Amino acid sequence: MRLHPLTSLAAAGSTAVITTAAASWPVSLTVIAAAVGLSFAQGAARRMLPAAAVILVPLVLSLLALHGLFFPEGTTVLAQWGPARVTAQGLQFALERAAQLSAAVLVLLLGSFTVSVPDLVAVLSTRGVNARFAFVLASTLTLLPAISSRLERIRQAQEARGLVIRPGIPGRVAAFRWQAVPLLLSLVEEAGTRAAALQARGFGSAGPITSYRQVLDSPVQRWARVVLLLAALAAIVFRLWQPTAGA
Amino acid sequence: MVQTPPPALAAGIEKFVFPGETEPVLAGISLTLVPGSLTAVLGGSGSGKSTLGRLLAGWLLPGDGGTLTGFFELAGTTVRFTGTAADPQIDPGRWGRQVGFVPQDPAGALSTVRVTVAEELAFGLENAGVDRASMAGAVRDTAALTGLAHLLDRDPATLSGGQLRRLAIGCAVIQRPAVLVMDEPFASLDTDGAEVLAALVRNLAQDGTAVVIMSQRAEPFLHTADTWLVLTGGTVAATGTPAEIVAAGALEMAGVIRPRPLTVARPRAGVDYQSAVNGPTALELRDVSFTYRRTRRRGWFKSQPGPPADPVLHGLSLTLDAGEILAVTGPNASGKSTLLRHLNGLLQPTAGSVLVQGRNIGGHPAGQVSRDVGLLFQQPRDQLFERTVEREVRFGLGRDGLAADQAVQRALAAVGLDHLAGRHPAELPASQQRLLALATVLARRPSVLALDEPTVSLDGPGLDRLDRVVRSTTADGNAVVLVTHDLDYARSIAHRLVCLEAGRLRGI
Ligand SMILES: Nc1ncnc2c1ncn2[C@@H]1O[C@H](COP(=O)(O)OP(=O)(O)OP(=O)(O)O)[C@@H](O)[C@H]1O
Ligand SMILES: [Mg+2]
Repeated sequence: MRLHPLTSLAAAGSTAVITTAAASWPVSLTVIAAAVGLSFAQGAARRMLPAAAVILVPLVLSLLALHGLFFPEGTTVLAQWGPARVTAQGLQFALERAAQLSAAVLVLLLGSFTVSVPDLVAVLSTRGVNARFAFVLASTLTLLPAISSRLERIRQAQEARGLVIRPGIPGRVAAFRWQAVPLLLSLVEEAGTRAAALQARGFGSAGPITSYRQVLDSPVQRWARVVLLLAALAAIVFRLWQPTAGA
Repeated sequence: MVQTPPPALAAGIEKFVFPGETEPVLAGISLTLVPGSLTAVLGGSGSGKSTLGRLLAGWLLPGDGGTLTGFFELAGTTVRFTGTAADPQIDPGRWGRQVGFVPQDPAGALSTVRVTVAEELAFGLENAGVDRASMAGAVRDTAALTGLAHLLDRDPATLSGGQLRRLAIGCAVIQRPAVLVMDEPFASLDTDGAEVLAALVRNLAQDGTAVVIMSQRAEPFLHTADTWLVLTGGTVAATGTPAEIVAAGALEMAGVIRPRPLTVARPRAGVDYQSAVNGPTALELRDVSFTYRRTRRRGWFKSQPGPPADPVLHGLSLTLDAGEILAVTGPNASGKSTLLRHLNGLLQPTAGSVLVQGRNIGGHPAGQVSRDVGLLFQQPRDQLFERTVEREVRFGLGRDGLAADQAVQRALAAVGLDHLAGRHPAELPASQQRLLALATVLARRPSVLALDEPTVSLDGPGLDRLDRVVRSTTADGNAVVLVTHDLDYARSIAHRLVCLEAGRLRGI
C-alpha cells in the first residue's frame, strides 16, 4: 500500500528529531541502516545516496577535523602536532556526532525522495491551504522534474547538432557547461509563457479549489501521524529536561 | 425584423503595440462573434493571427503585454482601452472561464504541474472549485470527445505530437467556455483526428459556443465557416463568407495555403520502388524494434518502472538510397517521430540495427551520428535553445571561424532568414522558427536529412523554401526522409510513400 504523503513526511521528520534528541550511537547506527535499507527497497537508493554523499561528506570531514583535533577534554592523546592533539575521546565524540547527523540527514532525504510529490501537492492544496500558497508550493515541488526534463530536451537538441556526449553520468556532467546558459534562459522565458497559461486556466485565483487526484488515507494512518508527532515532541521535552542524557 | 443575438465576444482593435516597439502588430481589426458561429481567421506567417488569438483569450494582457487602443465586449460587459495607465485590468482567470484557448504550441497549454492526462484535463475545473464527481464525469466526456480515453493515465510529457494537440483542445473545451479560440488546431492531426476535431467544433457551435479558428491553411472544413477574416500585416485584408473571399482571390495574396490540387501525376510505387538516382545505400534499418520504458513519476524524479508498454516499432526494415526522398505517413502515435529519433541515435533500438552509410551506429553517441544525419524535430521549440538566430545556426559548427561563418550564411540564405540573424528565436513567428530549425540542420550538410512534419506551420512562401531546400539537397546526392500527414504534399515531392502502422512500414 502507498503511504499517505503526510504520514511518510511525519515518519521521516519525527525519526530525525528523535535520533537527534537521543544522541546515542546505537540508535543512530540503527536508523542509518534502516534508512539505507529502505531506500534500496523503495528503489530510491540510486538517487538518494549520491545526494546524501554530497551533503554528508563535507559535514563529516569538518566534524572530524574540528573535534578530532581540538577536543580540550580529551585525555588519551594519540598524536600531537603543536596545539592540535588527536585524542581518543575527541575522535569518539566526532564519530558519534557524525553518526547522529548522518542518521537525521538520511532519514529526511529518504522521506523527500520517496514521498509522491503529486499526492503531496494534492493534499496540501485542498487542505484549506491558501490558493496562492498552493500555487507556489506546486511550482516549487515540481521545479526539479521540470528542470530535468527541460535539460534533457536541450541536451537532445545539442546532440542532434553534433555535441558528442559520452554515455553515463560523468559524460553528462562534463557536457553540462553547454546546457547551463540555455537552460537558465529557457527557464526564465518559459516561466513567462507558463504564467499566462496557468492564470488563464484559473491557477492562483481566489476562491476554493478542489483536487481531482484522490489520495488514500486511513484512520490508522491518521493516528500514526498523531503518535509520531507526539513522540517527536516528547523526545524534545525529554532532551531539554535532561540535557546530558545519552551523551 | 429579426433580432440579432448579442455577441458572445466582440473586439475592436484600433491598434496594438508590443512593449518596446513602435510599429503596431495589429491595427484596424473589428470582430463580432455571435453564439453558435464559426469564424476562421486566415493569414500567412507573421500576419498577426497568434497575437490576435492570445489577446482575445486573455493570454496576452493589454498593459503588461503591450499597448492596446480599442475595446472588448465579453458577455455584455464592455472594457475600453486607451493605451494609458488608467486602463482597466483584465483578470485572466475570470476571462479564461468565458474564453477557452488552444495555443499554437500545444505544450504551452499544459500546467506541467500535473502528472497524468486526466489530472491535466481536470486542472481548470479544480481551480474553479468543481466537486470531484462532476470533474470525473467531465474528464470522461471530454476524453471521449477528443480521443484521449485510452491515455488518461499517461504522463503528458510522453505524448506524441498529435496526442498533445488533442490534450490541449480537451483542456480548453472541458470548461465549456462561451467562446473558443484555437490557433492552428489542425496542425499535426491525422485524418481521423481532423475529423474528430471537425465534429467537435460542429457540436460546440450547435450548443451555442462561438468558435474562432486561426489558420494558415484554408482547410476543407473551414469552408463551412460563417465568416472568414483574412489578415495581412496585422490588418484585415478581406472579410466575408468563404465563397466571397475565394471569389475575390484574397487568399493567394495573403499567402494562405489552399490544399493543393495534384498538379503532376507521378509514377507511384510501393516499398520496392527504386529511386531515380539509384545511388549507394544511404541508410538502412534492419528489423528494428523499440519499446519505451514506461516510467511513473514519483518522488522528485521519474523513477519507478511502470507496467511494460506496447512496442512502438516492431521488426521494421527500410533502405534509403542516396538522392532519394521518402515520405512516411501514418496515424498519430504510430511511432513516426520515434522512428526518426532512431536515425541519428537519439534512441537506440531494443532489437535490430540502424546503418548509416553502411556503418552500424549501435553504441555510437548521437552527437557523432548527427554529423551524417540531420534531424528536424517535430516541435521547433525542442530544437532551438540559443539567444540569437545566428548563434543558433552556428552551434556545433566547429572552431574554424571563417568556414563556420560561411556555413551559417549559406544555411540562413537557403531558408530566407539572413535578414534576421540578430533576432531572438523565441520572438519569431512559428513558420520562421521552423525554417530556422531547418537552417540549423542544413548548416551541417548532413548526408541524410530526417524531417518531422516539416510543413506544419509553414505558410505559402515558407513551403516554397522547404521545397527548394529538399530538392536541392537531394540533387546533391543526399537522402531525405520526411514525416507528414499531408498526403498531397508527400505525393508532390517524394519518390516513395510509405505508411507506418502497427510498428511496420507498408507501401501505399
Ligand atoms: N518519451 C516517451 N515515453 C513513453 N512513451 C512515449 C514517449 N514518446 C512517445 N511515446 C509514445 O510512443 C508512441 C509513438 O509516439 P510518436 O511520437 O513516435 O508518434 P508519432 O507517429 O510521431 O505521432 P504524431 O503523428 O502524433 O506525431 C505513442 O503512443 C506515444 O504516446
Ligand atoms: Mg510525431
